[in-house]
Amino acid sequence: MSRLVLDEVSRTFPGVRGGPPTRALEPTSLAVADNDFICLLGPSGCGKSTLLRIVAGLDRPTTGRVTLDGAPVTAPGADRGMVFQSYTLFPWLTVEQNIRFGLREQGLSTAEQTRIAAHYIARVGLEGFERHYPKMLSGGMQQRTALARALANDPKILLLDEPFGALDNQTRSLMQELLLGIWESDRKTVLFVTHDIDEAIFMANRVAVMTARPGRIKRELVIDLPQRASSRAHGPRQRTGPASGARRSGPPNGTSARPRSSTAGAPAAGAAVEAEVAGPSSNS
Amino acid sequence: MRPLVPVSTATKVLLGVGFFVVFFAAWTAATLGGYVNRTFLADPLTMAVAGWRLLSVHGFARDIGVTIWRVFGGFALAAIVGVPLGIAMGAWKPIEAFFEPFISFARYLPASGFIPLLILWAGIGEAEKLLLIFIGSFFQLVLMVAVTVGSTRRDLVEAAYTLGARASGIVGRVLLPSSAPTIAETLRLVLGWAWTYVIVAELIGASSGIGHMITDSQALLDTGQIIFGIVVIGVIGLVSDYLFKTLNQRLFPWSLA
Ligand SMILES: Nc1ncnc2c1ncn2[C@@H]1O[C@H](COP(=O)(O)OP(=O)(O)O)[C@@H](O)[C@H]1O
Ligand SMILES: [Mg+2]
Repeated sequence: MSRLVLDEVSRTFPGVRGGPPTRALEPTSLAVADNDFICLLGPSGCGKSTLLRIVAGLDRPTTGRVTLDGAPVTAPGADRGMVFQSYTLFPWLTVEQNIRFGLREQGLSTAEQTRIAAHYIARVGLEGFERHYPKMLSGGMQQRTALARALANDPKILLLDEPFGALDNQTRSLMQELLLGIWESDRKTVLFVTHDIDEAIFMANRVAVMTARPGRIKRELVIDLPQRASSRAHGPRQRTGPASGARRSGPPNGTSARPRSSTAGAPAAGAAVEAEVAGPSSNS
Repeated sequence: MRPLVPVSTATKVLLGVGFFVVFFAAWTAATLGGYVNRTFLADPLTMAVAGWRLLSVHGFARDIGVTIWRVFGGFALAAIVGVPLGIAMGAWKPIEAFFEPFISFARYLPASGFIPLLILWAGIGEAEKLLLIFIGSFFQLVLMVAVTVGSTRRDLVEAAYTLGARASGIVGRVLLPSSAPTIAETLRLVLGWAWTYVIVAELIGASSGIGHMITDSQALLDTGQIIFGIVVIGVIGLVSDYLFKTLNQRLFPWSLA
């Protein structure tokens, strides 16, 4: 069953001061199934963010349409959680209050908000930082909070726009594993944007490779890494207790048994994606 | 000295007080040393004596009280009307389009130029003083608040929408809290302007207040009293500014580095 369907979605931005209009996205179609982890992979400026923003309802397509569970997407909503590349925590709210933001919008009782927030604070390993303001947090911790904030709403699909792009390598690896762990244990559907080939192969079960501007999806590749199987084996352990499992396996201690290096384990998949990215964009 | 490197609190206080000492020493040297004619500039000692006389004999404390009341009255009036209007203009563009051109025009009208008109309309009582302060601070305040609210980070607004916020909730849950520290700083700035306008208002057609005392002293050529009046205004301004700043820091701890 496809949850999210993009049907010939394109976006053209009007020209600036009489200049020619910018074609950011060629008509693009994509279907995201339940529990998919799809990476949109492409060079900078190829329209990845544009595509994700259209799915989030923050931008409208020039042509085509987006449906989620059959209902057309026309505006942003809590059923599509988003994590941005830039740090978008509300600076006047503490970590805990940030995570409660969406729950409060839903009109949940304070007790319920507290319970859910505590669960996700534990899930992303931020115990002890509940009362910290975003300014006091490192980039990785801010993105953990942003992830928890999006997850707390229990969205149908999680949209991530290069969420770890600004983090150092070590933190990025920890965050990647954290997200994979959550995806596996909570059975989430994820649309993940990145320009990093390694990250795409490591994270996704399907990679949609986009061409340079104006972007379109050139090829979709199914990734079946050996370590994915090994990581699946961790799934049940993490699923046993959503909070406790994450606390032990997740960062900041970060002692997961998953291999870090992504392409090393699967040279074939890596080479295939690399060929697609490097190849001339005219050849489709 | 490397740029932007902060100094310790002790050094900061020392340097800040240091300039007052230098200033006071220069003033003392210039006047008591006989470099400046006494008719034009009183020395610190004469000023202190004049000040004491003002307070103990002429009931100057009452004048100070009246002036403070006028400043805060006019300032409060401008803030009560100006802040909500500025927020509305920053948040809703049609409201901004409606008011902005007129307010941009009105803020260039010199407030002191209104004094004759205000006296004609409201007499030389308290209403005239409050109105002058209002005119002097209101238009600037509205525009600054509107700009602050209007420049709220768009990505925070978008994040709120993706978390399920509705358009009606964005103002209260994103625009206001994110602008609050800057609005408070703007108010602090505007309070400083209100002090300028109150003295202007009191220099013309007033029977009480610090400004009135200064005009009276001018007739007597008493520069000691004039300088004492100016110093009192400076001290009250400094104290209120400090209190305002401390309050802002208490209210918005998240906006500090
Ligand atoms: N609001 C906008 N107005 C005009 N052009 C835009 C706008 N947003 C994006 N673009 C253009 O669309 C293209 C794709 O942008 P984007 O989706 O951000 O790329 P990516 O996320 O893949 O780096 C870029 O060339 C960019 O300049
Ligand atoms: Mg982008």
